Amino acid sequence: MKIEMKGIEKSFGTNKVLRGVDFDVHSGEVHALMGENGAGKSTLMNILTGLLKKDAGSIKVDDHDTTYASALDAEHHGISFIHQEMNNFAEMSVVDNMFLNKEIKTKLGLVDQKKMRKEARQYLVNLGSDIDVDSKMGDLTVGQQQMVEIAKSLMINAKIIIMDEPTAALTENETAILFKTIRELRSNSVGFIYISHRMEELWQICDRVTVMRDGLSVNTYQTKDVAENQIVHDMVGRDIGDYYPGRHPHLGEVALKAEHLSGKKFHDISFEVHEGEILGFSGLMGAGRTETMRALFGIDKLSSGKIYVAGKETKLTSPSVSIKKGIGFLTEDRKNEGLITEQSLEDNIALPSIDTFRKHGIIDKKAEDKFADMLIKRLTVKANNAQVTAGSLSGGNQQKVVLAKWVGSGSKILILDEPTRGVDVGAKKEIYELMNQLTDRHVAIIMISSDLPEVLSMSDRIEVLYEGKQMGVINAQGATQEQVMKLATGGK
Amino acid sequence: MMNIKNFSKRLMKIATAASVLLLAGGILAGCGSTGLSNSSGSSSKVEKKAPKDLKIGVSISTLTNPAFVNLKNVISDYAKKHGSKVIIDDANNDTSKQNNDVEDLITQKVDALIINPCDSSAISTVVKKANDAKIPVICVDRSADSGKVVSTVASDNIAGGKKAANWLIEKLGENAKIAEIQGIPGASATRERGKGFDSIGDKKLNIVTKQTAQFDRAKALTVTENILQAHSDIKGIFAQNDEEAVGAARAVKAANKKITIIGFDGTLASLNLIQKGQITATVGQQWNKIGQESVQKVYDHYQNKKVPKNDKVAVKIITKNNVASFKKQVYNK
Amino acid sequence: MDKAKTTKKKFDFTKYMALVALIILVIIITVLNPQFIAPNNLLNLLRQASVNALIAFGMTFVILTSGIDLSVGSILAFTGAISASLILGGTPAWLAALIGLAIGALLGALNGVFITWGKVTPFIATLATMTIWRGATYVFTGGNPITGGKMNTSYFFQFVGQGYLFGIPFPVIITLIAFIICYVLLHKTAFGRKTFALGGNEKAAFVAGVKTKKLLIIIYTISGLFAALAGFILTSRLGSAQPDAGMSYEMDAIASTVIGGASLMGGKGRMAGTLVGALLIASLSNGMNLLGINSFYQQIVKGVVILIAVMIDSQTQKNRE
Repeated sequence: MKIEMKGIEKSFGTNKVLRGVDFDVHSGEVHALMGENGAGKSTLMNILTGLLKKDAGSIKVDDHDTTYASALDAEHHGISFIHQEMNNFAEMSVVDNMFLNKEIKTKLGLVDQKKMRKEARQYLVNLGSDIDVDSKMGDLTVGQQQMVEIAKSLMINAKIIIMDEPTAALTENETAILFKTIRELRSNSVGFIYISHRMEELWQICDRVTVMRDGLSVNTYQTKDVAENQIVHDMVGRDIGDYYPGRHPHLGEVALKAEHLSGKKFHDISFEVHEGEILGFSGLMGAGRTETMRALFGIDKLSSGKIYVAGKETKLTSPSVSIKKGIGFLTEDRKNEGLITEQSLEDNIALPSIDTFRKHGIIDKKAEDKFADMLIKRLTVKANNAQVTAGSLSGGNQQKVVLAKWVGSGSKILILDEPTRGVDVGAKKEIYELMNQLTDRHVAIIMISSDLPEVLSMSDRIEVLYEGKQMGVINAQGATQEQVMKLATGGK
Repeated sequence: MMNIKNFSKRLMKIATAASVLLLAGGILAGCGSTGLSNSSGSSSKVEKKAPKDLKIGVSISTLTNPAFVNLKNVISDYAKKHGSKVIIDDANNDTSKQNNDVEDLITQKVDALIINPCDSSAISTVVKKANDAKIPVICVDRSADSGKVVSTVASDNIAGGKKAANWLIEKLGENAKIAEIQGIPGASATRERGKGFDSIGDKKLNIVTKQTAQFDRAKALTVTENILQAHSDIKGIFAQNDEEAVGAARAVKAANKKITIIGFDGTLASLNLIQKGQITATVGQQWNKIGQESVQKVYDHYQNKKVPKNDKVAVKIITKNNVASFKKQVYNK
Repeated sequence: MDKAKTTKKKFDFTKYMALVALIILVIIITVLNPQFIAPNNLLNLLRQASVNALIAFGMTFVILTSGIDLSVGSILAFTGAISASLILGGTPAWLAALIGLAIGALLGALNGVFITWGKVTPFIATLATMTIWRGATYVFTGGNPITGGKMNTSYFFQFVGQGYLFGIPFPVIITLIAFIICYVLLHKTAFGRKTFALGGNEKAAFVAGVKTKKLLIIIYTISGLFAALAGFILTSRLGSAQPDAGMSYEMDAIASTVIGGASLMGGKGRMAGTLVGALLIASLSNGMNLLGINSFYQQIVKGVVILIAVMIDSQTQKNRE
């Protein structure tokens, strides 16, 4: 199968999202689609799979002009789209998920569970997976769910599979399994369109790469012929230099000290972070980093342990207490816990500090406006004004709004959980620079990150967790990825 | 884009202006009076008016009960026959909706109000309002606890209850086991019919259970089924209205039992079942008389004739023997 | 895509949808029966709207948090009955009113406790309390209305529901004051902001330091308080506490907030919208009465209006995205 898209254009109202995109993919290759958030990748894929209608341009499938009426139509013709947020039913079993709307029926018109189970198992075994088809979808890890999605694509005999950031939530191990599967399918002449923000994956798994920027396809390369700098240049339209601005810490007093923290999924964690320091927390997914910080901040329960803020023992029983003590928490799950996407930037930014704007019980709107405008400027949030909804911004700018909220509430200690996840290259660098500015002002930062280069470059010290236990602390200066990985996988 | 924006802005202006007008209208209407009434007061002498010059407002408690639908039809037919205009509202068994309805009728400056109250006490406040507006009020079927009413036309519910009790005693003998299915708790019909029935029944009958079915046919069906389970040996049932009697008859028939059922109202549905022998009897209200009398009271009032304060329309026990003639008299069928 | 860059502060047409509908309705009814716009009828209409409006004000807070309070009608009946029986028993009417309000607030708080600490969804929790307090009202009243005695002689009691101040029905004045308080509370205070935040995203609000449980309990307390206030006014208007008073009032209150632009998903709604919604519903009933439309049809029209209002709202919402 061969798909050629030429000169694709698309507008939403007056907003031109695609301004002439060329893209092609054929069976037996992995073709990466790179670009910052908002470059138009998803729109392009939605046009290909019939979710949206194109305004201009042509789509040729095996040299015939083709327009799919719907995603279902595209599936029937062998094109399957595995979305980043998988549309599965957590309460239903794996087999029921796989055969949803395609149930095998007995002669009586009843669902033939036996046959479905057998077939489901076969598809998964072919992928080298031993997932129990009777377990609930919601009980699987993200990696396993990914496998089920791929199995579903194979069930409909997909010739081209579109994957949108498939590794965003996978552990190293799961990623390796996924890549192995992709390679095998590729040799069985399945084609892939692979959308990713992870640069290194281009050379691990992809044959070709097309870079998009502002609704245009900039360039297409054979991955073996192109260097990372070139791709970054194409993506942002300028040379970005080194991602990481580097660290020049000036440490002050101990800002926060934790002793023997235990709770669900973590045991006996002790650490301290100084004013002006960035303390990295590394480890595999499920190592207990996020759980530790959530309990520390008062979102979840801490079963034992002591916390000292600025030298004084403090009970942080709820987020509102922690905020009063000058702690801020940028959560991993921006959409569900970080932002109220339907509300304005101003409402979001002012929320943790809203009580300070009271004047005889009424909110001083002018002071609030000023406050929000100042923070938007200071954190270089790209938005026209403070009244646009948070959901309308790109991932990077959303993250800056969350940061603005905590900076504005006067946090002396900031916990950042995966601060650059889902953030595009340009905004990443700006966030790193912001972190440096904050530590220059004596803010203490605890950063959880699964991105090894990021942890190594932006931390001063690195705590490594493995299965809820503290494996050791590494001085970031001169540390290597191998050192961290060894601890993170339980080695000594 | 620009057009919509302009349009919306203009709409906003209109909207603001209209809201201001609404409020201003309200404030002007006030004329600054403070207290319990907002009337400006006028002469009290009744000006003579012929039926064809009259506009009569009618508020019926509910039109989901066939008895009241019939009442409504009688009133409307009788008034139209005499050339009067009628406006009819249905309160849906909701006391506060009825108050709103009557207020709205007062606003429409009707010449007279015929009210069939949902509740005797709750209706009083609007009756007083009608008094303030010098609109004569006739109450039908239920009375008003306070306020000036020209006349109350109703069946004698207490007497009806007593008649039902005596009839059951006569039919089944003293101390017969019976069940009483009550109406909507607190409704005046429930209270009065119950009061009349119990005043005799509590002493001379063995009332094994009293349960409410909310004057509702379906609920009466369930309630009766349950009663038959608990007390399979009952000989009779008194249902406080005919809808309940019909429901009870269904349950009794399904259980294949012979039980004497007496209802109250005399609706077409129950009269038909009396003819079929499924309901034994009902306390028949003469709706045709009640409806016609209530309208006639309005006419009499506007002819400056003397109108009796209370017009108790007699009720009678209807059985297989007299059902045909009663049907003819009340429903003309 | 940053659409915000192309259009600066777009005029939000949907905000005034309900108001426009109200004005159109007023115009249509007035054309068909000019009596409608007569000052006396307008006062009538406002008074008729007041009970529902008060309940709807409290409901607005609840719905903003993506909750629902089905128990308002039962709380109204229960507190109304208690106040009425206290007055009959010789308690000064103002004190009886205060006690009724306090009990209403308490029952509301109880809803909040079931929802937060008991972890029962608002629908189920208030469905249960709706049934409980209705039952309690029947038990307390023995199924009979509470009326007569001191209720007919207490000036204060009668004034609350039937009185006029400068020619304006007193319930209307109470409603206006309540509206101003609720408006300020929702749109101008930290409490209101937190309510919006909680409705927009409960988890994010919690992480941002909003004491979500406490806030929810306060919000259901407000709803209970307003139900009780409406209950006292209704009791006074009817001169009697009816055991079945307030039945299905929760539906009219919910309809008012929804017509006013609130979303049952939470985070979206305005106090002024709710007021307009309540006026719209009252105008519909009053207007159709004046036009002599059968009450059966009135219900159909009411349902259709709610559907259209919500459909237009969600349609414009979709177009904006």
